[in-house]
Amino acid sequence: MSDFLVFENVTKRFGPLTAVNNVSLGIKKGEFFSLLGPSGCGKTTLLRMLGGFEMPDSGRIFLDGKDITDLSPNQRRVHTVFQNYALFPTMTIWDNIAFSLKLSKLPKREIEEKVDAILDMIQMREHAWKYPNQLSGGQKQRVAIARALVDRPQVLLLDEPLAALDLKLRQHMLMELDLIHDQVGITFIYVTHDQGEAMSLSDRIAVMNRGKVEQLDQPAQIYEAPVSSFVAAFIGDTNFFAGEIVAAEGDYCTIRCEGLGDIQAFNDRKLAVGQNVHLSVRPEKIHITLNAPQPENGVGVNVFQSTVTDVIYQGVYTKYWIMCGDRSVSALKPHSRFLLDQAPITWNDKVYMWWHPDDGYMIENFSESDAGLVQTPPDAPKEFPGK
Amino acid sequence: MKNRKGFFSEGLLTAPSFLWLALFFAIPTLIVVSFTFHGHTPNGGVAEPYSLETWRALADPDYPSIIWRTLRISVKVTLWCILLSLPCAYAIARMDKRLRAIVAGAIMLPFWTSFVVRVFAWRTMLHPDGWLQACYLSYLRFGEWLFQCMPAFVQHTLTGLGLATSGSLDPAMATMLDSEVAVVLVSVYSFLPFSIMPIYSAAEKFDFSLMEAALDLGANSFYAFRKIFIPCIRQGIISAVLMVFIPAIGSYVIPQMLGGTNCVLIGNKIFMRAIQNRNIPHASALATLMAVSVLVPMAMTVWWRARQKARDLKKADTGLAAHIPGAKA
Amino acid sequence: MKKSFFAPTVLALVLLFLYIPILLVIAYGFSPDGISLRFFDADGNFLGFTVKWYRQLFTGVYSVRSLLDSFWLSLEIAGLATLFSCVIGTTAALALNRWKSRLQSVHYALVYTPLVMPDILIGISLLMLFVACRVECGFWTILIAHITFCVSYVVMTVLARLQDFDRSIVEAAYDLGAGPLYTFFKVELPILMPGIIAGGLLAFTLSIDDVVITAFVNGAGTNTFPTYVSSMVKHSKNLPAVFALSTVMLIATCLLAGLSRTISKRHGT
Repeated sequence: MSDFLVFENVTKRFGPLTAVNNVSLGIKKGEFFSLLGPSGCGKTTLLRMLGGFEMPDSGRIFLDGKDITDLSPNQRRVHTVFQNYALFPTMTIWDNIAFSLKLSKLPKREIEEKVDAILDMIQMREHAWKYPNQLSGGQKQRVAIARALVDRPQVLLLDEPLAALDLKLRQHMLMELDLIHDQVGITFIYVTHDQGEAMSLSDRIAVMNRGKVEQLDQPAQIYEAPVSSFVAAFIGDTNFFAGEIVAAEGDYCTIRCEGLGDIQAFNDRKLAVGQNVHLSVRPEKIHITLNAPQPENGVGVNVFQSTVTDVIYQGVYTKYWIMCGDRSVSALKPHSRFLLDQAPITWNDKVYMWWHPDDGYMIENFSESDAGLVQTPPDAPKEFPGK
Repeated sequence: MKNRKGFFSEGLLTAPSFLWLALFFAIPTLIVVSFTFHGHTPNGGVAEPYSLETWRALADPDYPSIIWRTLRISVKVTLWCILLSLPCAYAIARMDKRLRAIVAGAIMLPFWTSFVVRVFAWRTMLHPDGWLQACYLSYLRFGEWLFQCMPAFVQHTLTGLGLATSGSLDPAMATMLDSEVAVVLVSVYSFLPFSIMPIYSAAEKFDFSLMEAALDLGANSFYAFRKIFIPCIRQGIISAVLMVFIPAIGSYVIPQMLGGTNCVLIGNKIFMRAIQNRNIPHASALATLMAVSVLVPMAMTVWWRARQKARDLKKADTGLAAHIPGAKA
Repeated sequence: MKKSFFAPTVLALVLLFLYIPILLVIAYGFSPDGISLRFFDADGNFLGFTVKWYRQLFTGVYSVRSLLDSFWLSLEIAGLATLFSCVIGTTAALALNRWKSRLQSVHYALVYTPLVMPDILIGISLLMLFVACRVECGFWTILIAHITFCVSYVVMTVLARLQDFDRSIVEAAYDLGAGPLYTFFKVELPILMPGIIAGGLLAFTLSIDDVVITAFVNGAGTNTFPTYVSSMVKHSKNLPAVFALSTVMLIATCLLAGLSRTISKRHGT
């Protein structure tokens, strides 16, 4: 199946700043597609070009085989759910939703039916005659989505739609968005800087950085097999271990890491001996135990002695900062049993940290600035002056 | 004890302005209103007995035409000001912040020269031998030519609606100076900044992503301007209407200097009656009438704003109940 | 998005409309023709520019004496009216902001109504009062009239500033041990100052520009600059002097505005 929406070498500059740099993308019909990246990475600009609010400096945009690059926003059947909802404050909810239908000059009966149907879908029928400032954040959000969906656009754009909501509401709306997408079957393009939202909703994610797409893949692929240090560090948290491959046999290789020792890693891409790589190991994949693990089935390698420097209890898990030689490593320990009955690992404990060779992922495309995205242990505060 | 002290300081802070305005604003206004219920004496005084003869005199053929002319000119001036201010305010609000301050300043700057002097400059510009008069004449000639080109029935409809007059143009009668045209033109000139400013300050607070949202949903720019922008800044428009309409009703200097004898408005008549004819009851009656014609639209907006406020309060009430997502679903 | 050109075009034309008379005010000050302000004679010959009106103004020759007198009178009245209305207006704003009694709602109505009344009503009612009390019209009646219509504008400007201002600052001052008078002069007044200055500037411009009210209460022979100029419409041989004086005023105001801007910028307010 050929792609429904295609960006072809799209570039957009704002003065000296290149917001979007030669981006090519294909998005399938009916897909829930996310553009994920830090603020200023160009994801919103890309979305605004699709909505028709910005004109690309070069490149074309095709929707369903037609070139829509030069069409104005009101000529494209692409609707946006704005970050601040942009509900018309002087109109009731009903009139807000009916706005696009009235413009398309449908008969009155049909408009009423469609608006009522979508009000039922978002369960807001009884609020139809209220004004936007009478609604709560979640309700406004639903109205904004309904308003954009009611005349069945070809693509629905969502620009950080959950950013203004509090955590509980955000989780609730996340599920609702997923259900709405399943129901209407329209292509959704979702812009966010929140990896959690992108992961839980999307069929595919494009991770963007500095105007370029770093990786385009399914959520699990992006998390488990990041193509660059940026993707590894931006999505979730990780630990980087730099080193050189000193031996490679079969599916595994040995990396010599300065200050730590030799590390075994899965080598599916058959990297050659002598190559410099960075191994990314996610904190939840690192185990810490008071006793050395029993060697069996891949366990027993990558075991390093270390000292606990900080313990942050989070309920579901505990986050540990441990010193291994002169490097700080973060590890997550989930609590599957009643914690108070156990003797938990605590400050200054000598522990063994270890991980399975399959759980590290080797990254060739490393940039020192991306290492800054990785969490670091907190610094101790300066002394209080009156003490 | 504390209460009495609070009352004392409240009195101390309130007294200067309260007494001043009571003495020099409220009482004189009441004097004026009371004079309207007296007749006038031939030597310029106010007759002792109460009578309604002054109010009856307002029906005399001279006054209604002046009152009607004042209202008509004020409405025209207000409409022109609002019509010009809307695109101006929109354009300024869309500029970036630094340019915005400069342009807003540039609009107020002409007001640092004396109002009378500016009206005087207009008087010189509108001189019958001047270039503006020449432009105006050719505009009228063009209109006349256009009228001649139209089929007879259109001509009749236009004349019937009062939008055109039949008969050829007399250049001697079509001078701008000392006519209603000059008064309207210069009034628009004088009051325009006062209508741009309130509309602009409302437009500055307007969220322009609403315009994007409207375009996104298929509206064109003009539709979005009409259906979204104008309703959202209606408070500013109402302030602007008042800012123009009130001084236009009370206009004195502009018709005095540019209207000649053809365009006498209520303000001029009040002055004439009070100072020249020494007919104080008539001047008072006209002044009272003017006050009423200003206070009526004023009261209407106050009432309208109170209703809006009440509606907003009600909104806040129901807004709380609806805070839990999908609670009633 | 494609930019719309309609609104910016209207704005440009409106600015042109607003500025043409100002440019003419400046130009007329150099006109050699004292009566009809022409630059060209009947045959289309250019008559040239002259600075004689400026020379007359600065030397104060007899022919412009009464013009200059009226101008100084205007400045004097505007200055005094500003001073008084700032004091009265600030106390009124403080009272209106602090108390919410029935007295204050009457007070507010009393302050608000003059703002929406046409000038001519204030003029005629004051004239009636002065006539009824048999007061001789002149300098003092003009001053009283000007203070009366300026007060409301000062109150509204200061009140707007007061409503923006966070009461907890005053509470913080009390909390740290300051008394009410000390707090007023050291904390409240400095915060209110920009509002008072803005109100004062507004009062000054309104007062120096007023024709209508002054025309009612000035009595015979006392003319402020605007009433003097409006009386020149029909008979005058030195009209350009008026425009020259206005040009000098315009330049002075621009310089003052620029100066105050740089000062306020340096103080970072």
